[in-house]
Amino acid sequence: MKKFVLVVALIALLSVSVFANGTAEAGSSAGFKPTKDVEWTCTSKPGGGSDIFTQQIKEALKSQGITDANVVVSYVTDGGGEVGRLQVSMTNKAKADHTLLTFNSGDIMPMVKNTDNRIENFTPLAVMAVDKQLLFIGEKSNYKTFQECLDAIKAGKKVVIAGSKGDDIETYNKLLAELGLKESQLSYITNDSTSGAITSLLGGHVDLCMSKPAAAAQYVEAGKMTAVLALSKSRFKTPSLKDAPILSELGYKDVEVPVWRGVVGPKEMSPEAAEFWSNCLKAVSESEVWQTGYIAKKGLISDFKDYKEAKAYMTEYQTNYLKEIGK
Amino acid sequence: MDNLMMLIQGFSVVFSLENLLVCLLGAVLGLIVGAMPGIGSLAGVALLLPLTYKFNPTTAIIMLGALYYSNMYGGAYSAILLNIPGDSPAVMTALDGYPMSTKRNRPGQALFTANMASFIGGTIGIIILTFMGPALADIGLHFGPAEMAVLLLVAMTSIGWLVGSNPTTGVVLSLLGILIATIGMDLQTGSPRFNFGNIYLLGGVKFIPFVIGTVGFAQVMRLMDEKDDKTESKITEKLTIKGSLLTGHDFKRLLPPAIRSGFMGTFVGVLPGAGATTGAFLGYAMQRAFKSEEPLGTGALEGIAACEAANNAAAAGSFAPLLALGIPGSGTGAVLLGGLMMWGLNPGPLLFTNEPEFAWGLIASLFLANILTLIIALGIIPVLLKILAVPVKVIIPIITVVCLVGSYSDTYSLYGVIIMLISGVCGYVLEKSGYSTAPMLLAFVLAPLLEDNLRKAFVISGGSTSAVFFNSGISITLFVVLVAIVATPIVRFILTKLGVLKNKKETN
Repeated sequence: MKKFVLVVALIALLSVSVFANGTAEAGSSAGFKPTKDVEWTCTSKPGGGSDIFTQQIKEALKSQGITDANVVVSYVTDGGGEVGRLQVSMTNKAKADHTLLTFNSGDIMPMVKNTDNRIENFTPLAVMAVDKQLLFIGEKSNYKTFQECLDAIKAGKKVVIAGSKGDDIETYNKLLAELGLKESQLSYITNDSTSGAITSLLGGHVDLCMSKPAAAAQYVEAGKMTAVLALSKSRFKTPSLKDAPILSELGYKDVEVPVWRGVVGPKEMSPEAAEFWSNCLKAVSESEVWQTGYIAKKGLISDFKDYKEAKAYMTEYQTNYLKEIGK
Repeated sequence: MDNLMMLIQGFSVVFSLENLLVCLLGAVLGLIVGAMPGIGSLAGVALLLPLTYKFNPTTAIIMLGALYYSNMYGGAYSAILLNIPGDSPAVMTALDGYPMSTKRNRPGQALFTANMASFIGGTIGIIILTFMGPALADIGLHFGPAEMAVLLLVAMTSIGWLVGSNPTTGVVLSLLGILIATIGMDLQTGSPRFNFGNIYLLGGVKFIPFVIGTVGFAQVMRLMDEKDDKTESKITEKLTIKGSLLTGHDFKRLLPPAIRSGFMGTFVGVLPGAGATTGAFLGYAMQRAFKSEEPLGTGALEGIAACEAANNAAAAGSFAPLLALGIPGSGTGAVLLGGLMMWGLNPGPLLFTNEPEFAWGLIASLFLANILTLIIALGIIPVLLKILAVPVKVIIPIITVVCLVGSYSDTYSLYGVIIMLISGVCGYVLEKSGYSTAPMLLAFVLAPLLEDNLRKAFVISGGSTSAVFFNSGISITLFVVLVAIVATPIVRFILTKLGVLKNKKETN
């Protein structure tokens, strides 16, 4: 049934956009206000991380009375999400002001690596939150601290980290470069999700596991996992994670790869609309619902960047990543 | 008996009017969703997840649990009646289900067998889950990438021998399935493979449109080709529930494979990432080792019972790591996990301690959903049988529409429809040339799992083969089984040549 509603909504959206072409242009001179349904594209399946993020914002937009625009979330998962991103980037002027896309650091990496789509084809609107990584040992791990792992590697042993895709691989590569080790010394196995990596750690099949604080929280509390290294420029403040040292305490430079979650619009979005959405998202970010219901629960760092800062931030991220993969 | 007390407490949670209704609703929706090809449990749970945001978590999970569960029943219907597996585990059900319903002319009994076996398998699974859930989850943890790789090797090796009549064509099509499965992004490094610059192929070939095309749409073409109305007249007199009842003898045939598969399926469900398809497959494979009254693949009741019991048991088993460790055993499990987090629960090792009402309520609701679904399912058999009475000229456009909608609804794009049409034509040509497509579908499902685990195992072992196969007791045992499977036909061939063994017809 939902599908049907979605199709009807899409048709309605399309027809409205055809007829309301002129009005949207006219309204934009005196600041922007949504005049029709807003289509918010999410490139993960319902229930996935990006979906939860999107639904929380949608909920807050409504419950906090930030905008009364009707937001319809559509899931475009083809091509590992690239189809959805391409569609949004090419949305034309008529619809551009009413089109949003959930866009994370984990999305930009495969996008620039595997396609020709770039951040320049979008209008960044906001960075909502940042997450950082830690390395954990499990009950069955052979080593008790990260220093022990390093010593073992020096003694000719092989240490294996399990982690997830995207951001995690990037963090691993940075870590490897900083430690000056080879892949065969400190190896990495990619899992479809962090829970897969945790499974391997709990089963004693790997030595270390890379995870964000939220995914590991329960296991840390139950004593099944212990944080041994914070991939951050300063120690975590959470009581259960504060004992994990950062790299500079072990005599290296700190490695921190921020995992960010943001929102972008199509390239053709008008500056007025960009400002409007950026302000809406700022209001969401400052709301109590968002801070307790999402940020605190997920152990994220609330770090709002408006559309100007987000643009600079995302572009710099892309430049660095492109340089790194030699593209 | 602590668990029993908790379970009774769980039942007291479930037996509120609201929860009972929601459980019933979940069971009915699950059956419908499962019976519709293309909308498997994953899509079903994912679609309904947003509806439950406003519920309290216990009520919500009861509904989704019931839905997930009854889905496994529904998946068999279209497989048996139309030869279109609704979801991947049903590929196995179709192997014997469709012949039993058409060639042996016992569609009612085939559906009844599927339902009873599902019930038996499910019950065994849930009972094991109740008493040893956390322990079971711990056993699952022992299966690291190396162990999983060998287990999957066992499964992949047996495909050719198990399914269809000719091992050679079976192996050829398994390889084709593997080849198609490699399209898309590399599992370990995320690099594109065989996408030919196409953005859609970057995401790989999706299973749902692929299976609907290969089996369902190919079936449509076959029907058009044959143009006979035989099915119509044969079955009309058996449209009552009475005509679908199993005889005492049938029950005796059904019980042993269902019980065996029930135990094995639960165990497979617990393994990381294995899920109901591997369960159904191994259940069927195991049945080969035991006696069936009719040869498997020709409409044997034992074949249906073995895989249906195994897939329902696996569905129950996959709740063990989900509840005890917060680790999803399948795609559907992952969506449920997303739901749990959205409702403010933290699934993980502390769930049973922190939220006993929730955890045990869910387990109790599985018992309830199992019984409710059985009653509903048996009740609708006569209605379902009417599908078979529909003339071929009417059924062809209907199945075509079902195929189109099913393949579209996987990702809501025409990409799925195109995949469906192409694989439909290929499936038709293959079947026409005497190649059974089931091995291809199974290899397609299992190959990514095998590749992923094998590569992880090699990274962990630093490329050493012995560390993969002889790393633990589990993998050594599995490797021995693997060698036995590969060697048996060869040894038998040599022994027959030497005259030690009498030449038997059913060597394969």
